Formats: sequence, structure tokens, C-alpha cells
Amino acid sequence: MKEIFAFILKEFRHIFRDRRTTLIVLVMPVVQIVLFGFAISTEVHNAVIDVVGDMSDPEVRKIVERIDNNEYLETGEFLHSMSDVETRLRKGKAKAAVCFENNFEDRLHADGRGVVSIISDGADPNTAQIVTNYVKGVIQSEQTEINSSMTAATGSVSMRPNVQLMYNPAMNSSYNFVPGVMGLVLMLICTMMTSVSIVKEKELGTMELVLVSPVKPFWIILSKLIPYLVLSIVNFVSVLLLAVYVMGVPINGSIALLSLVSVVFVGSSLGLGLLVSVISSTQQTAMLLCGMGLTMPTMMLSGIIFPCESMPVALQIFSDIIPAKWFIIMVKKIMIQGAGFQAIIKEFCVLSGMMVLLLWVSIRKFKTRL
Amino acid sequence: MDNGNKSVVIRNLVKKFGDFTAVDNISFEVAKGEIFGFLGANGAGKTTAMRILCGLSRPSSGEGTVAGYSINREQEKIKRHIGYMSQKFSLYPDLKVFENIELFGGIYGLTDKQIAKKTDDMLKALSMEKARDMFVRDMPLGWKQKLAFSIAMVHDPQIVFLDEPTGGVDPVTRRNFWEMIYKAASDGVTVFVTTHYMDEAEYCDRVSVMVDGRIEAIGSPASLKEQYGASDMDGVFTKIAGRAERE
Amino acid sequence: MGQYKKIQDKTLTAMWKYLLKKEFRQFLRDPGMPRMVMMFPFLIILVFPYAANMEVRNIKLAMVDNDRSDQSSLLMEKCASSGYFEVKSVSASPEEAQRMMDDGRIDAILTIDTGFGKYLEGSGPMQDAMPVGIKVNTVNGTRGNIGSQYLNACISGFVMSEKGMDSAPSSQVEIRESYLYNQFMDYKLFMIPALIVIAITMMCGFLPALNIVSEKEKGTIEQINVTPVSKTAFIVCKMVPYIAVAYFMVFSCLLLAKIVFGYGCAGSIFSIIIFTFAHILVMSSFGLLVSNYSENAQQAMFIIWFFSMVFMLMSGIFTPIESMPEWARAITYANPLTYYADAMRGICLKGSTLADTWFDLVCLLGIGGLTTTWAVLSYHKTN
Repeated sequence: MKEIFAFILKEFRHIFRDRRTTLIVLVMPVVQIVLFGFAISTEVHNAVIDVVGDMSDPEVRKIVERIDNNEYLETGEFLHSMSDVETRLRKGKAKAAVCFENNFEDRLHADGRGVVSIISDGADPNTAQIVTNYVKGVIQSEQTEINSSMTAATGSVSMRPNVQLMYNPAMNSSYNFVPGVMGLVLMLICTMMTSVSIVKEKELGTMELVLVSPVKPFWIILSKLIPYLVLSIVNFVSVLLLAVYVMGVPINGSIALLSLVSVVFVGSSLGLGLLVSVISSTQQTAMLLCGMGLTMPTMMLSGIIFPCESMPVALQIFSDIIPAKWFIIMVKKIMIQGAGFQAIIKEFCVLSGMMVLLLWVSIRKFKTRL
Repeated sequence: MDNGNKSVVIRNLVKKFGDFTAVDNISFEVAKGEIFGFLGANGAGKTTAMRILCGLSRPSSGEGTVAGYSINREQEKIKRHIGYMSQKFSLYPDLKVFENIELFGGIYGLTDKQIAKKTDDMLKALSMEKARDMFVRDMPLGWKQKLAFSIAMVHDPQIVFLDEPTGGVDPVTRRNFWEMIYKAASDGVTVFVTTHYMDEAEYCDRVSVMVDGRIEAIGSPASLKEQYGASDMDGVFTKIAGRAERE
Repeated sequence: MGQYKKIQDKTLTAMWKYLLKKEFRQFLRDPGMPRMVMMFPFLIILVFPYAANMEVRNIKLAMVDNDRSDQSSLLMEKCASSGYFEVKSVSASPEEAQRMMDDGRIDAILTIDTGFGKYLEGSGPMQDAMPVGIKVNTVNGTRGNIGSQYLNACISGFVMSEKGMDSAPSSQVEIRESYLYNQFMDYKLFMIPALIVIAITMMCGFLPALNIVSEKEKGTIEQINVTPVSKTAFIVCKMVPYIAVAYFMVFSCLLLAKIVFGYGCAGSIFSIIIFTFAHILVMSSFGLLVSNYSENAQQAMFIIWFFSMVFMLMSGIFTPIESMPEWARAITYANPLTYYADAMRGICLKGSTLADTWFDLVCLLGIGGLTTTWAVLSYHKTN
């Protein structure tokens, strides 16, 4: 047992002697959480809408005023031709344009039909759709007003069912993205830290020294992991504090459960890093594998920005092997929905299984490499 | 400065890093074709001084010339006329032997034809004809160091700087290596060498011993032994370096 | 002395050839690098675009019927057959449905309360609230919002037709929607130029920085420093393989997109070449800058990774810049990816010309000039 403590102590010294790296590892997640927690949001604000139409037409003016008053929209320029619309959209100066036909009001009241076309920059389909829906909503509310003024009191109020927004009634997009960013940042930092641990000693040739000692490979690996585990837990705590006190994400569930889940998650990330370290031959390979090889798939596939439900089945299956995905699902359930343990049993088992498997495989590989 | 037969002339060289004086007012000369040993404990300031001589770093004050060029103003010219080899450097491990020769030959402005000839001559002299297509990383350390020395000489420099060239190799290889140094010196090349091995210091024409950034002793091994009443260089070194105040 | 003179006089241009040879040899010999470069375009075109999809699909729905009338089952049928929902349960009790939502098995609950049939039969003006409730999980706001919109549309459509109100009122505003540049609203089309941007950023940011730091660690850079090779020449030669790789990636990705999806580039290839060059300049000088200030490869890696993440996530590539708070938008102005991604999307999708995108180019070159100058200055200082 004594040797193991000596080993753990040695690893601690190794890591904390490089003050700058330690500092980087501790400060990085804090900055990233703050930046991304606030910046990543799919809500569209201040979308610029150009107008083509006769501004002397009272009905046109009413609709334009409504657009201007809408909190998500902003009126841009008043244009005269479709080619101007095209130019402004191409330059990215406006997100969409509303075009009223000539004599809009007359047609609306005389013929009973007025045509408005919404032309939007479909290059970004998501934003285009959201903006188009906002504009449509504005026009429809004008329509409702016209209708109600015409057909007395058929209130459309009663036409709407009662909608209840669960868990996030204020529709904070941080509730959705902060857990995602937590998973992304924690997983990658843990993995990158650990990925050099073994391969570095291999390169320096100090591994032999360790291997001739009577300590079993299992304990060598464990002693390497413990300092990283400590660093990762410090990171988790700081990230969690920021999420709660700066980003305003609540912890509705139990903190103990959240901590348990996080330890398992950190464990599986460290296991992944360890595996990379054991299989790579140079530090550079190990770091490229983690830095480049893991960043993209984790960002794209773990449901942080793009929902896993919308992916093709093959990719959904692939996304299942990324630990961050499971962590994010659980964090959302515990923190925001306030769910208890039985709601996360499946995810918890999967993540624990991953942790055990990754650690087991790395130890096996480590042994056979001797 | 005209220094007829001097390769290196250094006057009152000082290098400071903040408050720390790494090289404290040293002066010495090295003649052409001389093998000059540069001794000192770790941290005595050898490496700093050598980096200034190679044009890698500027002195805080002091004057000097290497191969006739000023260490203050003509560093790029110095670089063209010196060779450099260090124990740390073992060529590009992921390049083949002939590719390393080609690279450094090319850097020093040799033409393809000259490079081809140099490669053949060099490999023959080293008896490494068969290793031509070998990766440097696969070579034994002794071979690497001999090859590194030859490559440092690829452009026929006036002076070659060797920074602990024989670290970690066996006595036989070290002997071979010194034979190469003698051969170079006999061809008129000045050899400036730092070493930890005191038996190697005996092979030098002259040695200097640095302590705490200053040159405490300079002269031929024989005269130093006499001066300090020691039977070998080891004794000389122990006596001088024992006065060190800093680690 | 004659020979030294000759070497001295010889123009330094000759050594470029040998330095370039060295870099290419090392690059091609690397165990992973060439394979990675070949694989990247396939990942970028054939895998990631399928993942990058914001579309809200398969909203999981549970329905609670407290009315148990003909009308309520008709409404449920209508919702189920609308195609927007994946119906998980039609006979749950309100408590069960709530539990299912808590466990994350469903996204929305439709509750039809008693009195729905009566509500529909009633004629004339109605002041009573509709006895139908919708509950949506809004942890993901967009998903919840769209879910409730779909449900709302189904319900109002049903109610209108049941009450015979679908005859249009006398003054109807007809809304026509059209989407320029991407008429089928294909998100892949939007993401591909941005994914190319990310690939170039990673290639030209990570690799040269790691390469230089590892030469520093091995000590080989010191050997080069004692030769007449100027630092600039050394660095420029180091960059050349990565520049080649970057262009290879851009064109192979565009070609693959054309072959696989039939997406052509609407703008000129020439503009793409210019923008890509400016971006390579920025990223590689940035990598060099980081390597200058790092003590070892691990530090360099962390710092580059940190900045790549910031660059990627705060550039409008994944989420629109307009939705960021004011201070975050200020950061995006200092982010080279903002400009490169904007220009690449403009050129590929909208056929933007250099005249349309000159602002992006000026900013990109401005950032590039700054990082290059800084990198060169700090590189000289470290020695």
C-alpha cells in the first residue's frame, strides 16, 4: 500500500509542478462556460426585415408598425424593387423582406384578398423559418383584428387551447445549452489531460523505472488517474457554480445525485483519455487524437447544438458511444426537471458501463504493451 | 579588428538576464586549428557563452569576433562560417541519412552536385555506405553522433562548436569521435568543445574552466596541472570548481 | 577563403528548395497525418452534415382523454395522423403522462377535458375557454415551442372545421412564403461551407503549432538557428505543406459535395481561393503565436484547443450571431471565423462576389496582419 501512496504523490508532484499547465486546465473551463453559456442560443433577436410596398397605404403601414413593435424583429430599409431585396439578402444585410402587392388595402377590402409575400434568406434554413414564422404571426394578429372588427365578437381567444410550458416557462435557452456546454468542456479537458499521461513516460523512457517496481499495472494506472480526477472535480465544481450563479440554471434535483453522475462521467472521460494514451506511440499523436479527433464528433453528435432525435439512425447509434451525450441528458433531468434516480437509471447504467469498459480495456492494453 | 591567425577573440563579454549575471566579463582567444576545451560545472555559464559565440544570443556588453565577424553586429555572417553540434541534437530522426546530409548541405548553399559528392565522401569516411537509406531514428547513438559531427562540417566551416558531443556513448566510440576531431583540427578547423569528461579535456590543446560566469583558469592541460599541482585534469577541475558559489 | 565567399554570395533562394523538401518528407512520412488529411473531407461531407440538423422532428406525444366523446377521439386521430408526432400513449392517466414527461420519454401532453364535445356543439359566440390543454417540455425551448405550435395548429384546424368556420372571412390576407438560395430548406447546404471552415481552422491552427513546439522540444530548431537559414524562411517553408493541405481540403470537399449531393458553388472559385488564403494566414500565424508562448506541446495544445472552441462556437457557424448578447457579439467581431464562414456561405450559397464580401476580406486580412506581425515579433524575441 505504501508504494501506491508514493506513486500517487509522485504523480501529484509531476502535474502540479507545471504550474502554467495546471492554471490553464483550471481557468479554461471557467472562461468557456461563461462565454458559451451566454452566447449559444438559437433564439433569433433583432432580425432585420426589409419592406417593399406603398407606405401611404394605411393597411401596409399598420402591418409595418406591428413588425417594428415586435421584440424579435426590426424594420430595415424600404425598398422599391425585387432586385434590391435580392442584393440586400445576398449581402446579409437583411434576414427577410415582406412585399405587399400594389393597392393592398383596396384589394383586401374590395376583393377580399390581399397578397403579402415573405422572402427570406434561406441560406440558414433554421433562422429563415423562425423569422418567417415571426412575420407570419405579426400578419396573422393583424388578420385577427380585421376579423374581429368585422364579425363582432367571435373571440379567437377561446379558439386557443390552454398551453402550459413545463420546466422552463421563461424559455431560457441557457437551460438547454448550459448542460451541453458543461458536458462538452468537461469531457474534452479530462480526456486531453489524461491522454499524455502514459505516452509521455513512454517517450521519456521513465516507464521502465515504474514497470520494474513491484506495483501492479492496475495500481500504476490508478495512481496516474487520481490527480486528474482531483483536477476534474475542481473543474466540475467551478463549472457548476458558474452555471447556477452566473447563468441562472437551477438545481431542482438532488445535488448528491448530480455529483454522483458527474464523478461517473469524469471517470469515463479519464478512461477515454487513458485509452488514447495507451494506444498512441507519441504525445503528438495522443493530443491530435483528442484535440482534433474528439472535439468535432463530440460537438456535433452529443446533442449539444443539434438534437440527437433529428439525426439519421446510424448517427444516433454512433452518438450513443459518446459519454457526453448521456451526461447531458442526465444533467438536464436532474438540474432542470428535478428528476430522481429512477428517471435516469438507463443513462446512469450506460455511462457506468462505459467507464468500467474504458478503464478495463486501457488496463488490458497497458499490460499487453509491456 | 584584424586578428591574423585568431579564430575567436572575446573581450569583456557580459550577459545578464535581469539581475542575474550568467557570463561575467570573460576574455579569451582561440587560435586557428586549435582544439579549445570549454569546461565548467552545470550552470557555470558555458552554454550561455557558447550561444553568444554561435550568434544565437546577443551579449549585454563586450566585444568579440568569431571567424572574423563581430558577435554584436554580424551574427548572420558568423552562422555561415561555423558548424554546430550538440548532444541534445541528433539530426532529424524521421529523415533518412542522405536526406539529412542533403538538407544541411542545401541550407549552407551547396549545389546538388556538391551535395552528391559530399554524401558519398562522408559515408565512405564513416564506413556507413550501407546506412544511406536508413532513418536516423533507427541508428545507434554512436553512429548518430559521428554523422552529426560530419554534417556539422558539411560546409567546411572555419570553426566547429561541439556542445557535450560525446554524452552517453561508449569509450570506443568516444575514441573514434576524438580521432575525427583531431583530423578536422589537422585540416585547419578550429574546434571549440564543451565536455564533462575530464579525460577528454586532456586531449585539448588548451582548456578554460568557467566558475560562476567567470573564467578561473585557462591554459594547456599540462600547464594547468602544474599550476594546480594535480596529477590529472580531474584534480585541476575539482580544485577550481570547488570555489563555486552558485549551483 | 574562396569557398566561403562563394557560399556567402550565393543567393539564399536555393535553400528554400531543401527546406521545403524536408517539410514535405516529414509530413508525408508521419504515421497519421496523410491518412487524416484524406479522411477529413469524407467526414465533413458524408457524416457531419447529417448530424447538423436543427429541424425539430419526432416530437413524442402522449394524449390524455378525459372527455371520451366521439369528437375527442376524432381530435386525437387528427393529431396522430398529422405526421408531426410520434404518439407514445393514447390512454394514459394525467399522472402517468406527467411521469412520462418527467422521465423524458415524451415531449408533449395533449389533454382533452370533459366538455369538449359540448364545447364543439355549442354555437354562437363562446366565452368559455376551450377545454383542451397542451403541456410541453421546454428545457429545449425551440423544441417545446415548435411542438406546441404544431399541436395548436392541429387543434384550431379541427375546431374550425367542426364548427364550420373554415369559410374564409371577407378580408383575407394571403401570405406567400419563399426562401431564396436554398429553396428546399436543406440544412446540409448551409452547414457544408461552415464545416469546411472548421476543418481548415483545425488543420492550420493545430498542426503547425504542434509541429513547431515539437521541434523546440526535440532541440532540432536550435540546430536550424545556428545555420544561416532565416527564421522567416524556416517558418514559411513549414507552412507550405499545410497550405497545400488546406487547399486540398477545400476543393476535395466542394467536389465531394457536388458529386454526392449535387451542390454546386454559386460563386467564383477565385473568391474562395482568396478567402481561404487569408484564413490560412490568420490561423497559421495564430498557431505560431501560441507555440511561441508555450513551454511544451501540451500547453500549446490546450491553448489552441481553447481558442478553436471559442472561434467555432462564437462565429455564427452553429448558432446565429444575432441571438448573442451584446458583449458576446463584440467578441465575434474579433473572431476570424466569423468573417471566413460568412464569406464562404455567401459565396457557396448566394453567389456573393468579392464586391459583396469585401468587408469580410478586409477584416480577415486585418486580423491576419495583426497576428502575423505579433507572431514574427515574438518569435524573434524568444531567441
